[in-house]
Formats: sequence, C-alpha cells, structure tokens
Amino acid sequence: MNTRRLLGLDILKEKYRYANDPQFGNMSAQKIPDRWVKTTCGYCSVGCGMLIGVKDGQAVSVRGDEAHPVNAGKLCPKGLSEHYTLRADGRLRQPLLRKNGKLEPVSWSEALDAMVSNFQRVQAKHGREALGVISTGQLLTEEFYALGKLVQLGFRTRNYCGNTTLCMAAAAAGYKRSFGSDGPPGAYEDFETADVIFLIGANIADNHPILCQHVERNKAKHLVVVDPRVSKTAMLANTYLPIAPRTDIALLNGMLHVLIREDLIDHAYIAAHTNGFAELAASVAKYTPEFVAQITTLSPQQIIDAALLFGRAERPFLAWTMGVNHSSQGAETVNAICNLSLVRGKVGLSGASPFSITGQCNAMGTRETGFTSGLPGYRKFESAADRAELAALWNVDPDIIPSARGLAYPDIIEAMVKKQVRALWIIATNPLVSFPNQDLLRQAMGELEFLVVQDGYHPTPTTELAHLVLPAAIWGEKEGTYTNSERRVSKANRAVDPPGQARTDFDIFLLIAGRLGVKDSLFPNWTGPKDAFEEWRRVSAGRLCDYSGITYELLDREGPIQWPYREGDPITVTRLYSDGVFQHPDGKAKLIPIEWLPFPEQPNERFPFVLNTGRTVEHWHTRTKTGRVEILEFMSPKAWLEMNPHDAEKLGLRPHDQVDVVSRRGRVREVELRITAIVGPGQVFLPFHYAEFNSNFLTQSAFDPISREPNFKQSAVRVEKSGVQR
Amino acid sequence: MSLPLLERAITEADPRFVLSTTTLPPPPGPGEQYRFHFDMTKCIGCKCCEVACNEQHGNPADIHWRRVGEIEAGEYPFTQRLHLSMGCNHCVDAACLTGCPVDAYNKDALTGLVLHSADACIGCQYCTWNCPYGVPQFSQERGVVGKCDMCHGRLSQGDEPACANACPEQAIAIEVVNIEQWKLEYRALANAPGMPPADQTISTTRITLPANLPANAQKGDFHRVRPEHPHWPLVFMLVLTQLSVGTFCRLLFDPGQAGAIAALLIGHLALAASTAHLGRPIHAYRALKMWHRSWLSREVLAFSVFAGAATLYTATQSFAIGAATVAAGLIGIACSAALYLVPARPAWNSWTTVADFYLTAVLLAGAPKLVPVAAAAQLLVLAFKYLRLRQSEEFELRQSARLLGNDLKELVWLRIVLLVGGALFSYHPASLLPLLAGELLSRYLFFVGVVPRNMAATFGGRKAA
Repeated sequence: MNTRRLLGLDILKEKYRYANDPQFGNMSAQKIPDRWVKTTCGYCSVGCGMLIGVKDGQAVSVRGDEAHPVNAGKLCPKGLSEHYTLRADGRLRQPLLRKNGKLEPVSWSEALDAMVSNFQRVQAKHGREALGVISTGQLLTEEFYALGKLVQLGFRTRNYCGNTTLCMAAAAAGYKRSFGSDGPPGAYEDFETADVIFLIGANIADNHPILCQHVERNKAKHLVVVDPRVSKTAMLANTYLPIAPRTDIALLNGMLHVLIREDLIDHAYIAAHTNGFAELAASVAKYTPEFVAQITTLSPQQIIDAALLFGRAERPFLAWTMGVNHSSQGAETVNAICNLSLVRGKVGLSGASPFSITGQCNAMGTRETGFTSGLPGYRKFESAADRAELAALWNVDPDIIPSARGLAYPDIIEAMVKKQVRALWIIATNPLVSFPNQDLLRQAMGELEFLVVQDGYHPTPTTELAHLVLPAAIWGEKEGTYTNSERRVSKANRAVDPPGQARTDFDIFLLIAGRLGVKDSLFPNWTGPKDAFEEWRRVSAGRLCDYSGITYELLDREGPIQWPYREGDPITVTRLYSDGVFQHPDGKAKLIPIEWLPFPEQPNERFPFVLNTGRTVEHWHTRTKTGRVEILEFMSPKAWLEMNPHDAEKLGLRPHDQVDVVSRRGRVREVELRITAIVGPGQVFLPFHYAEFNSNFLTQSAFDPISREPNFKQSAVRVEKSGVQR
Repeated sequence: MSLPLLERAITEADPRFVLSTTTLPPPPGPGEQYRFHFDMTKCIGCKCCEVACNEQHGNPADIHWRRVGEIEAGEYPFTQRLHLSMGCNHCVDAACLTGCPVDAYNKDALTGLVLHSADACIGCQYCTWNCPYGVPQFSQERGVVGKCDMCHGRLSQGDEPACANACPEQAIAIEVVNIEQWKLEYRALANAPGMPPADQTISTTRITLPANLPANAQKGDFHRVRPEHPHWPLVFMLVLTQLSVGTFCRLLFDPGQAGAIAALLIGHLALAASTAHLGRPIHAYRALKMWHRSWLSREVLAFSVFAGAATLYTATQSFAIGAATVAAGLIGIACSAALYLVPARPAWNSWTTVADFYLTAVLLAGAPKLVPVAAAAQLLVLAFKYLRLRQSEEFELRQSARLLGNDLKELVWLRIVLLVGGALFSYHPASLLPLLAGELLSRYLFFVGVVPRNMAATFGGRKAA
C-alpha cells in the first residue's frame, strides 16, 4: 500500500470508475472489454450461451447471451465468474515430468517422448490393454471424437472410459435398454409446456439453476419433487415426496401399479409401440400402495395421488439427475421411469418425455462421439455391420475395430489393483477427489508404472501423483462444440490464448498421434477441430444423433442447433420418438420389469446413518476450477455436514461442532455440523466438492452391474465429535 | 438405415421464448422514489445477484453490496428453507446518512436513492455501525465505504440493476413507491423473518413472503457468533481521552504541571490515534462538518476544543481555563458515548455505555481514593450489562451475551481481575497499569462483543467486509 493511499489522497478512483460498454451499458470500466467473444459455458450440461469479454488478450468479464435459447442471458454464479478460471493461480504452463521423485518442467518434445515410450514399453511387456485411459465430460466434441480414435485405433487398447461413468452412465444405459439407443427424447421447452413435472433425484436449484427459469415460466404446471432431502428444489414443489433414501424404484412401480389398476394406461400405444407389457404388469402386481408405503415411508394416499396426477396428466414430464443415476440400480431406475412414460404413450411429445438432465457441459458429446461404452454415433461394438460401416468411413481395416467394449472406469481401477492395467492416462478429471472408496483408488494408483495426467491446473490431488503432467488449454482457450442435455449443439470459441506452453487437448492428441505414427492414417490432413467436426458429420450421418446438417458456419450464424439435423433436410427436431418408433430392431420400446432392492450398505448399530452426498450451487465437481475463484470460495469456503435436530440431540452435538464422519472405509475429519431439518432423521448429507473433506473416503465400491455407475448416494456412517476417540 | 419420423417444428425462434428485456418503471415523480421488490417465493438462493453485483462494480470477493441469506423453519419433511437477497434498502429515514460526519450521503432528489460519495467519505465507518442491515461496507483497499446505489449508472440509462438483470427467477425488480403511502403500509410489506425490523429506518424494499412462513423462521447463521472488528485505534482513543479528561478533572482540585503535561500528551496521542482509524486520515478535519447532526462530528469538535484548552491550561495553569478544559472533556466523553448509542448495535445502545466511559475517566484519573468506588461501580455496570444481554428477547443481545459468556469468557474474566486487582492496590501508583490495561481490554471487548443487527446470512459463507 503506498503512502498516498495510506494518507487517503488516493481512493483508486480510476480502478473503480464506471463507463459504458456499447453492448451492455454502464459497468465497471475495468471490466469493459475490447471485444466480446461468443461461446458456451464450460461447466454443466445446461449449456448456457455466453460472451467472454477480452481486453488486452485477457478475459476480464463474462455475460449471458440474451439470444441463446437455453438461458436467455442468464448465468449461474459459476458461469458469471467463469472468466476467473482462465487467469486463476495454478494454471499449468508447461509439461512436468517426474525426475528423482519430483515433478520438473520439461519441453513438449521430452514430455511426449516420455509418454509414448513408457506407454509402448508397458504395452509391449504386458499387452496392449495394460494401458488404461480415463477421460471426462469436459472436453469438446471434436476432442472426444479424436481421442476415441487415438486410444482405440492408435494405442489399440479398449480399456478406455470416462468420468461420465460417475455421472450419467446410468441414464445412457437405461435409455439403451428401454429405447434401443441413448439419446434423451425431450427438451427444456417441455418444462414450459408440461402440465405435470416430476423431478426425481434432481436438485436443479443447486445443480442446474438456469433450468429453473424454464420451470418458472410454466405457470400452469404441477411440480412434484421426489427427494429424501428437502433440497432447494423441493421448496419449489407443489407436491414434495420425501421418500426414504433410494426407494424411487418402489415408488415408480407403485405408481405403475395404480395406473394399471385404474386403467390410466394407453392400450393402443402399448400394443403398437412396446414389448413386454404382460411381464411388466405381472411384476408390479405386488407393488400395492400399502407395500410401497412401507418401503418409501410415504403414505399409501401420497402414492395413489402421485400416480393419479401422472396418470391423468395430458403432458407429464419425468426428469431426473444424480439421485437416480448415482445408484447401483441406476440403469434400472431409469427403466422404471421410462416404463411409466411408455405405458401412457407419453414419449417425445410436447411437455411429455422421460428426460435425463445430464451432468457435464459435454457429457452428451462423449456419449455420441465417444468410443467408450459404444462405437461413435451410438453404434454397437457387437454389431459387425456397425464396425464395417465405421471401417469404411475411416478407411481402416475392420478388424482393428474392437467387437466388445473394454473395461469401464471402476473396472480399470480394479484391474490396476490386479496389475492388469499398469499405465494410465487421465484427461481433465480428478479421481483423487471424485472416485468412490479413495483408499482402494490410492492403492490402485500406487501400482501404476506410469501415470499421465492432462489437465488445465496443477496441483490437483491427481496431478500430484502423476509421472507426467501435460498442460492443457481450458474453456475459453479453444474452439469446438458442446452438446447439452437437450441434444443442442453449441459452439465454444477461443477467446484468449492458453497460458505458457499449454496446448489444446485437440493439439495434444494430434501430437501424440504423430509420435505414435498414426496421424496420417487416423487423422489425415487434420489441422484443427473443424477437421474433426467435418469427419464426425459424415460419421454421424444417418444415425439417430445425426450432425450432418450442422456446420461451424451455421452455428456461428444461427446459434445452437438440436440434433438430429440432417444435411439436405435441415429441420429442427425438438424431440425424439414422437411417432412411437424406437431404436430397437423391431422399432418398439421395451417395457422392462424392475425389482426394487434395498441399497447395498444398510445402516446398523455401528454405522447408524445413511450418508447422502451432493452439490452446492457455488461449486463445480472437485473445485479444481471453482476453488480458485475467489468469490465462489468466499460464498462456500468449506464442507458441512447436515444432520437432523433429533439425531443431534441424541448424540449431544451442537451447531457448528466439528465432527468426524466415519464409514467402514474411512474417516472425514473436522467437518462443521449443520443441524437442520433439511435432512430427515437417520440421514446425513455431505457435499462432495471438497478435497479437504472428501466424502469419497466414506463411499463404497458398489457399482451398477449394468452401467457401472457407483452408488455414491447411500453409505452407512457414524458421526463423532472430532477429537473424541471411541 | 432410415431414421424414424421425427416431430418437426419450424426453425423460427419459439414465440414463448422471451428475451430478458428491461422492465423498469417510469422514473419517480414528486413524493416518489425507486425501491427494490424482492419476491421470496421465487428466489432459489442461486446467488447470481451477488456475483453479478460484484462484477458490475468491480468489487473484490470480500465486498458484497448485495448478499443472499437463508432462513429455515419447520420439522422434516415439512421444512421450509427460504432465501433473502438484499442490496441497499434505500430507506426513507436512512441511518447511514444522518450519522455521517462529512455529509457523504445524500438521498437523491430525483430517485430517492441513498447515494454515497467516495470523494467526500473519510472512511470513519460510522455508517457501517448505523445501518441495521450491514449495507455500507468499508473497503480496506480504497480507504472508503461503498454501498449499493441500485446501479444508479444503469438506471439513469434505462437499464435495470445488475442484480435484477442477473436473476434467473425474476425475484428482484425495481418499483416506484409513493413515500407517504409507504409510511402507512411498510410494516406489513417491508418486514420479513431474517430481517431487522423495518421501523428503525423505514426500509423501502418490498418483500413478498410465502403465505405460510412462520415468523420464527431461523436465520441460517443463527448459531454462528463472530466477534466484530476490534477497531484498535478507537480502543486507545476512547480510553486515553477518558484518562486525559479524568486527569484534568483531578488537576483542577490538585494542580500540578507535571501531571498536566503527561495528561496533555496522552490526550493528544489519543486524538492522533483516532485518525489512524480513518481510511483517509489526511481528511480528518472534514469530520467537523456535520456538528449540527452527527455525534461523531460533535465528538471531534468537543475533543478539539478540549485539546486546545488543555494545552493552554497546561501552559498557564489558569483555573478558568482548567474549568473550560474539563467542561469540554466531559462533553467530549458524552459525545463519545452518544455516538455508540445506535439502534443497529443494540448491545451498545444502553446507559451502560455512558456509565462505562465516565467510570473509565474516574478510574484512570490518578485519584486513588476514588478508585475502589469507581471499580465497584464499573463491576456493577458490567454485571448489569451482561444480565441485560442474557435476559433479553432480542436476538442480537442474546448473541452478544453468548459471545461474552462463552467465546470471550477468558478475556472477560481477565478484565475483571485487572479491575479488582488495580482497585485493591490502588494506594500504589503502579496500580494505574493494571487499571489502564483493564480499561483497554474492556473497550476491546466493547467493540468485539457487539452483535450488530443484520440480515440473515447463509450457514457457511464468509462474512462480507
């Protein structure tokens, strides 16, 4: 602080001056940019349009794009401060290679040599599939598309998965089972046109706040929120159903039971467009309201009312997120939701669909183009025709395209423990915070011979373990597309240069391909993301997720577009399956009988609480970004544990006490206790963002056998006052 | 393969889709002003308004001219959790304005907005104590206070404020209100659980509440008590001016130039210390400006006269000038005390503050015979103050009692020990040291132990400046 300031002669008037921006009017002069760059938000899957203000080559501000159909100019607090992520401390500026136990700066050339030679050494010694790759939902579609080819056809390992398996794998798997393909049938517009909306395990007020404005615009709706926790979203509900943790399948089956009993089903639709109704009807015979009431702790009347509300609605919309997905019965829960919509013939109609609100900004992009749980373009590993089609498109030998999927994320980790996977490449994800049962994960990481982490930031708990860290550009520094939950493809643009020697993920993939000697065969004449997009247009042509009519020029000119959008037939398709024709070979949807099962780790005397985990509006995932944004940290600096007042009284705990949360697997220390009726007796809630209070030391290795999604939401724990050993 | 037939829609923009357009009412007419409307039934607690506000004004993370708080009521599963979002309430009877010693605030004639001038401000922070909502916030970086001006610069161009513009739920709006009409109806429309009573300053923000919200909804930060800023320069300024005034009183009956010189130096030191509290010490003299309205101006004026008279008295030893010195000093202490009698800081707003300050003057006057009596009185004042806090119905007073009785307990006991110890050995000149330490500690506790009126905060967020 200088003398003039200390004396009070200087009050920083220049810094705090206001001026007029030609587009946005009066604002802090230091935030007025030289130019606004149109782009799409890089946090969640809502996919808001925004503008980055660039001044002297730096991002100084952001604004919502008023012309964008998703957000109408609004952004959540993370989006409103997203420019700070670009300039944050801890941005990676150069490759780091571990030498004598220490990460040291090296050139790109040395870094890529180390990466490729170590991967090749491990693959030569232990087989090609000793290399595992874990990516993300944060990259651009073009990058996912390039990465899939690089991993599967370049490195020739099938053990490639993404953190999307910790997120929306259950939704994708559920859709595939019910409809024959992934692809959410509805659109955000349906929140506005529905007459009844069910939000099941979806706390959109905290997690997808900008969706709330679509719900809010719908004045005629009846909103039902199903959640064991009185979330901010529950407060918006006309009817709140506080079900016992993970009893949603019982509720959904109970509703179906009532629908059948009351004959509120569409017999013609069922006959024409579905298979399996008889088995389904038989399977829900036992789910009487009384039986379901015992399981869910709702009253039989609440279940009947919910069923009648749904059954009599003209336009019922069923939307869900992680409360459903984060479950060892996740895919089946999705099927139970789809069953309800199908028996009423309410799929792909205005205001009526079973709709998965997905997680990350481009989880959809990796679902469509990815080469993880399926082949690009929603093709199937198992289908020889699909493989042949791709081989022809790519001009490669059909035999190098795998005929079965490799290991899913949790299975890669398990294979690391068994030393089957010995080298790992992690891209834009932070498993050392986000993966369940951290003890086991750390053991697995310890077995690796070579770990490469590609990220925008360092240190993160994951980059700290790496042998090699590759510095990547992030949102705002690269060009490409994101696809949001409603299949809307939006352009993301480069506003500023990456820091130091950091490069776009896309460039890094091409560089590696060059080192591997597959650049010309897999990425012929590619120089930028547009080349990938052009190829993807051809690869997706004729598929459900048809991008063939979408071009960069069109996106820049017209704004975001929902797929399918076919070349030569450019018609906006807001919803899928509106005609009742599905993607199973016979064109019919499957009605799948689902049995409710208790969650795997039930509370007992030693671990009497059910631990629920979730988010808060200020933070994104593992806080790699938002933890570096001062205002977000200011508003939500640390974790807390929610406990019902009755339980706190029994344990003699007081508000703001520091408590340890203990499961069979680990202990989270010194969490601040929030005594609140937000959670019911016997339940506690811990946000999962905070590495310092990592809920994943408590969560378990229980995975959905269908989607491989972890059961993050229910773990048996006990709560102790910190410093008091028992 | 062929695609299934898909529902087709025209490519034009959806007519139901409304661009966020400005919804400003026409400017206020005579007798009217702008105000905020906050709709609690719409707010989802997303805090977009807070972030947008900081971006609009270029403020750092620890300054929040708009804040979001939460309140909770009811038993699971009938729990109600609701949010408050508040900028400045642009009060009819703005306490920030009436207290300001330099006239840095004005209630804008055209818009009725309470506007603050950083140029005029000297950073005394008196407004931050006077406002019952914690609206004005002192910026260490700039040395001046700042506050929500309803984005005056945007309003004047017909744009809505940044908070209203950013709200995805349209929970914040700008309205025009007739002031006389509002005085009749604000009690029903401005009050909300989690907010201080609107009566003190006649807040103009209209708040729409959910129909069934119990009045006893608990603030999100109900159980969190944080010590307030200690204001060290003021701790020294208060105790040392009181010592000086007390000493000059004694000297009137027991003259001595050495004592006068010491008291004079300490008095001047105290006044110098007070300028260290200002964000802009060079402009300290401006504090005299509003002597006809602000107790802070009056304090500065009285102690300026006191310092001048004391200097003369020390030089001349004239009884008349001594009497004038004492009179100015005693008035100065009264002004000191009066400026802490603010409704927004209920723990200060009591006769105990006045008694406390005068008793400090007696204890530190260097009059051993008076010390035991004054100490006993000071103990009684302390006991009364604590009991008053603890038995109060008022949230802030009970929180103050908690702070003093739990978090600051050790310091309170130390203060008592120093007072009693000093009194027991008051025959010895060295007893002045524990007595002085005791009074300094007492003043420290005075500042940190007050719980201001404020809106509800969130459970876990940090506290804005």
